Amino acid sequence: MDPKITEVSQVFERFKAAFVRKDFDTCTSLLSQLKVLLTGFKSLPPLFEETPNAVHELTLARDIYEHAVVLSVKTEDQDAFERDFFQLKPYYTDARGRLPQSPQEYPILGLNLLRLLVQNRIAEFHTELELLSPSALENPCIKHAVELEQSFMEGAYNRVLSARQTVPHETYVYFMDLLAKTVRDEIAGCSEKAYDSLSLSDARQMLLFSSDKELLEYINEEHPEWEIKNGSVFFQRAKESVPCKEIPSLQLINQTLSYARELERIV
Amino acid sequence: MTQDVEMKEQQPAPSNSLSSTSPSTLQHLKDIAALIETGAYTREVRRIVRAIRWTIQLRKKLKASVLSAFLNFVLVPGSDVHSRLSSYVPKEDEHDMEVDTATSATQAPAKHSLPELEIYSYLLVLIFLIDQKRYSEAKACSSASIARLRNLNRRTVDVLASRLYFYYSLSYELTGDLAEIRGNLLALHRTATLRHDELGQETLLNLLLRNYLHYNLYDQAEKLRSKAPRFEAHSNQQFCRYLFYLGKIRTIQLEYTDAKESLLQAARKAPVSALGFRVQCNKWAVIVRLLLGEIPERTVFMQKGMEKALRPYFELTNAVRIGDLELFKAVAEKFATTFSSDRTNNLIVRLRHNVIRTGLRNISISYSRISLADVAKKLRLDSANPVADAESIVSKAIRDGAIDATLDHANGWMVSKETGDIYSTNEPQIAFNSRIAFCLNMHNEAVRALRFPPNSHKEKESAEKRRERQQQEQELAKHIAEEDDDEF
Repeated sequence: MDPKITEVSQVFERFKAAFVRKDFDTCTSLLSQLKVLLTGFKSLPPLFEETPNAVHELTLARDIYEHAVVLSVKTEDQDAFERDFFQLKPYYTDARGRLPQSPQEYPILGLNLLRLLVQNRIAEFHTELELLSPSALENPCIKHAVELEQSFMEGAYNRVLSARQTVPHETYVYFMDLLAKTVRDEIAGCSEKAYDSLSLSDARQMLLFSSDKELLEYINEEHPEWEIKNGSVFFQRAKESVPCKEIPSLQLINQTLSYARELERIV
Repeated sequence: MTQDVEMKEQQPAPSNSLSSTSPSTLQHLKDIAALIETGAYTREVRRIVRAIRWTIQLRKKLKASVLSAFLNFVLVPGSDVHSRLSSYVPKEDEHDMEVDTATSATQAPAKHSLPELEIYSYLLVLIFLIDQKRYSEAKACSSASIARLRNLNRRTVDVLASRLYFYYSLSYELTGDLAEIRGNLLALHRTATLRHDELGQETLLNLLLRNYLHYNLYDQAEKLRSKAPRFEAHSNQQFCRYLFYLGKIRTIQLEYTDAKESLLQAARKAPVSALGFRVQCNKWAVIVRLLLGEIPERTVFMQKGMEKALRPYFELTNAVRIGDLELFKAVAEKFATTFSSDRTNNLIVRLRHNVIRTGLRNISISYSRISLADVAKKLRLDSANPVADAESIVSKAIRDGAIDATLDHANGWMVSKETGDIYSTNEPQIAFNSRIAFCLNMHNEAVRALRFPPNSHKEKESAEKRRERQQQEQELAKHIAEEDDDEF
């Protein structure tokens, strides 16, 4: 066997051992080592050279990046997640013809969808979604994320929150917790517009706080413009489109002059 | 600028098929060759454009015998190109061909083989192969032509080249190997940019977008599109295609307002005969308008030749208009195969939320006050806690400005607000202004698009002077042509 492959495999074994021990610092340093070693393989993207060990190398690299993605979730590092995911993606798209499908593919793709949802990057979410085949959309991991997005768009926030209990994969919990925070901000934004006032206990329930104290802290931090009176929260109403009392004369003069100029040109 | 119609491989059948005997077709081809020749010598790109348009009309009449006779006529027999191109044309009907060669020989053909004519021959053979459904040979032929094009840098070839790029991509698409040529197309686009070949850039950019979108690679397509140089469109068809692709990308990325504009413009600008293309544009435009919360008019679905193709979308629109979730689900299931072949499935999933919105809007208009439990019942929300769901859905709709209402949590009802008098605000003035601006802009663009024949304002030069000038130009062109020949 190629000595390079052996070396990578050995480091990867140590990485996996550390991973099981939950020794994430060791994992991170081993991972950077692995990534450097991987650059030595010519069969990997973007070169895709047809070396004799191509399939073996590709599988190994894919496995490493899959672990890297999961590791970034465990260390709660979203930037690292994005980086590792993009490095992994060519193995799922461009190398599809060369490798058997990875069992981790759908969970990881679903995880990425969830991340985009949490970061409120809905356009990218849909772009990713277009890349999936109809059979992939049936996969529980993907479906979970897709349904979440739908409930989120509709405004059925209860469904988003109850989805936490039905996560298809343990790594999803981290993002689901983040999503709960996003949902709270959304609810706060909606309530502000939809209600004149809410009693404190209702507001607490709606914004998913366990005590009034947390609620008050949240209001102080995020929405200082809300007013608390007589045990109720009063939201500042957004300004309505008031009937115009004054004629915007300057604007009108400008417009009329430009019409005159244009008409002059035509006639 | 160019008028030739080639959007979706749908050509109106040539009018008189009876007179389409091979000699006349050959004669036509020879006329075209002459046209290209003069175009090349006088450096008038427009002549070449006309030649291509003419060729497309002859397309249905192309036969192997005619083609090989034409090749013998324009190319030097025994030359590299000649033998290569002839190998693609099936040798049938030997007798007929001999007659044609004989006649062509007597006509004292120009045997110096201009690069333009060479490229034109490639184009002709390629069109023929595609029409004959001999795709693997078409692929080989197009690749050879692209390799030849790389070494040519002449403005008069650009028009022909852009057509070749199109058929190059088409032949690969027909065999399903579009991903293979992506690198090549990118390289060609780069070359075209360096040579300021704007038509080529335009065509290649569209081909690349098509290539990416074929594999649903919207991200890459958008990155390329936003970074590629843009300039005023040279070809109406290419511009239509560009708008269509742009509309698709924007739809996926949820920029519905811009997407709608691009798609509608593409549908309007497309030539009447490009029915397939217009149907596609309309399908997407309908969905985008639905996603925007608009309901397309009935006339959109009743356009000539489109009723059947747009039927599923018509029923879908109906479901959204009524705001009935059950009906919407039924329609989506009924036409699932159509939607998935149109690749609009994911968009239709997004529509669910609009159905709820419309239903909600209807409720808000009809009732001044309604309990949330009734709202949930009317919207047919089937969930564990319909009232809480309805409440959050309504509050989001209020925030997004879809309905004008307030919620009363303590009593559990929704109170719709009185609609104010819009004419007491500045709104109408703003709307009026934007319409006037649109009309004025349209007029200005129309004026700018007018085309005048070159030098018409100058004095007419005398006949003798013109002859002299033309002769000089021709000599110069011949010189250059010979130099080119020497190079290769």
